[in-house]
Amino acid sequence: MGTISLKNINKSFGSTEVLKQLSLDIQDGEFLTLVGPSGCGKSTLLKIIAGLEQQNSGDVIIDDKNVNSTRASKRDLAMVFQSYALYPHLTVRKNLETPLKLRDYSFVERLPLIGNFVPSRKEKKKSIDDLVFKTSETLKITELLDRKPGQLSGGQRQRAALGRAMVREPVAFLMDEPLSNLDAALRVHMRSELSELHNSLKTTFIYVTHDQAEALTMSTRMAVMIDGELLQLDTPSEVYNNPSSLRVAEFVGSPKINTFAAQISSDGSVEFMGIKLERKFNTNSQKALVAVRPEHLEITKDSNKPAFEATVSYRENLGSDIFYHVQVDQSDSKIIVRGSPQAGLFSNGETVRISPSHAEAMLFETSGERIR
Amino acid sequence: MHHSKAHIWFVWPAIILMIVILILPIFLAGGISFTNYNLGNSSFEWVGTENYEKMFSRKTYIKMIISTATYVLIVVPVSVVLGLVAAIMLNSLRFGADIYKTIFFLPVMATLLAMAIAWEFTLHPTLGIINSFLANGCGGIREFILGFHWLPWVSSEDSWYSVACANNMDFPYWLKDKKTAIWTICFIGVWQAFGFNMVLYLAGLTSIPRELYHAAEMDGAQSTWEQFKLVTWPMLGPTTLFVVTITTIRSFQVFDTIEILTKGGPAKTTYVMMYAIFEKAIQQNITSIGAAITVVFIIFIILLTFFQRYVIEKRVHY
Repeated sequence: MGTISLKNINKSFGSTEVLKQLSLDIQDGEFLTLVGPSGCGKSTLLKIIAGLEQQNSGDVIIDDKNVNSTRASKRDLAMVFQSYALYPHLTVRKNLETPLKLRDYSFVERLPLIGNFVPSRKEKKKSIDDLVFKTSETLKITELLDRKPGQLSGGQRQRAALGRAMVREPVAFLMDEPLSNLDAALRVHMRSELSELHNSLKTTFIYVTHDQAEALTMSTRMAVMIDGELLQLDTPSEVYNNPSSLRVAEFVGSPKINTFAAQISSDGSVEFMGIKLERKFNTNSQKALVAVRPEHLEITKDSNKPAFEATVSYRENLGSDIFYHVQVDQSDSKIIVRGSPQAGLFSNGETVRISPSHAEAMLFETSGERIR
Repeated sequence: MHHSKAHIWFVWPAIILMIVILILPIFLAGGISFTNYNLGNSSFEWVGTENYEKMFSRKTYIKMIISTATYVLIVVPVSVVLGLVAAIMLNSLRFGADIYKTIFFLPVMATLLAMAIAWEFTLHPTLGIINSFLANGCGGIREFILGFHWLPWVSSEDSWYSVACANNMDFPYWLKDKKTAIWTICFIGVWQAFGFNMVLYLAGLTSIPRELYHAAEMDGAQSTWEQFKLVTWPMLGPTTLFVVTITTIRSFQVFDTIEILTKGGPAKTTYVMMYAIFEKAIQQNITSIGAAITVVFIIFIILLTFFQRYVIEKRVHY
């Protein structure tokens, strides 16, 4: 079992409110990502779940048991830290053994020298050795067991830290930006490894990241947090395609979603940049914001489609995609449009027409709420 | 590749200075220690190892080794452990840590010479504040605590405190008694040294990443002792190595307190090496013996350095 639920968590440091009435239910075996910009309180939330930080009010419930007054070491969770926090003076093997020894050995068995003479220790040592070996095989770090963390590369350290969390079977894994110290290629590689690991362990993972790409690729559900509030909790595709508010829409997705000022007429039809949306919306507001993702805008020279004029100011070539930063002619706003290399290249300073593709625009109130 | 000789020009001032100031005097002392040369004499004779034979056969020099060893073996461990304990306790304080830091660090900043004079007054057998404090406490709570009457095996009639009270306030003479003099000197040495060690340990403690403690907590290290064993102590390894080395060398060099307070006495119980060198070579002008003691002193320091370099350093994680 590994269900965790948070009820009305409040946390403040001094006068700064970090978490505001946050509630969250995490199901057994799911890969839940807490994602949000730096300083949104996601790491604090993770530490509160772990018990390393105490909430000001609210309840943390693990497996239907209130653990508010249970200290971290008794909550039976495992954590992978951003800096890995491996014990630098111990070999990888000893690092992996530590959580097992601290939990399985009695006080006497842990004593140096004297502990060796306690008969029950031998048996336990055997099972610990087996577990360490099994874990190191899963993570492919068997040949690194006798090295110290200082002699390992970033990726190897990351595995060792994962190993230390994995050797015992915790209720859930907590990960605090474990990939942020790796280089880009390794990060992409570790994303798939972590997903596989989750599939094989079938344990609850709670994963904190500021990188929305990690959240979108790995998680079964993602929780978008901004300024200490949980804005949306849903599957990655739902969060991407159907954001509940403009802040979520702007945070998730790279490059950022484009917004345009729009007018709503009394019959509910919406017009922006001289283009009329096909859908009609049911709202009393007269002004709103239309948001369109870069891949839902088409850059073209074709003058038949409904479009507005813009000037290319910068071209970002990523190989498979090309992102054009364009200056909209009627206003001073800049937007980003995805083009494909097959459609031909446009160069800087060229005047182009931008046309939104069919039925992909989202409408938001000027205050940020979604209009459906 | 063109071989330039420029590097020699850059290095030679340092090399020459080192030879003139450090290496040459050591060899000179080594040479003099095999002669009967005294400062001011116009000639000398080679006497072989006579000076060293004297050193290892005469009681005075045996006492010199014993008192130096006692001082080093007491002051180093006690001041290191006290420094560590004080640093860990101060580190956990929320308020008032600065006041304690200042109090503990003051003896380090003060001139030891002046402090020694203050100690002389404090420890005076009849006029000193310590013995008058003890005398006024006869029969009271001070006698109970300091006489160890609270220990089950100490009877309240036979404790050292009660006996002193009964014998017309016969409290220890501290620096004037050969049984207590070296311990009193050690006490002053610890008092003076541990503040410095504390500051070094405080610096070491702040450099331990907090996440390691979090990791230890998640791994199940619940007691403070477990966390100390798993994180604090190993992470302080380099600091400890430095603290032990520097305290040892400073303890070998103890001189000020001895010169002011005991002049090596009573009965040569505080006759430490530095003081012996000073007394023989400067006061009595027996340069050759002074040189021989210096050579033994240097050998001790070199042995210590090797021990540090090849034994301890291997066990320390940087």
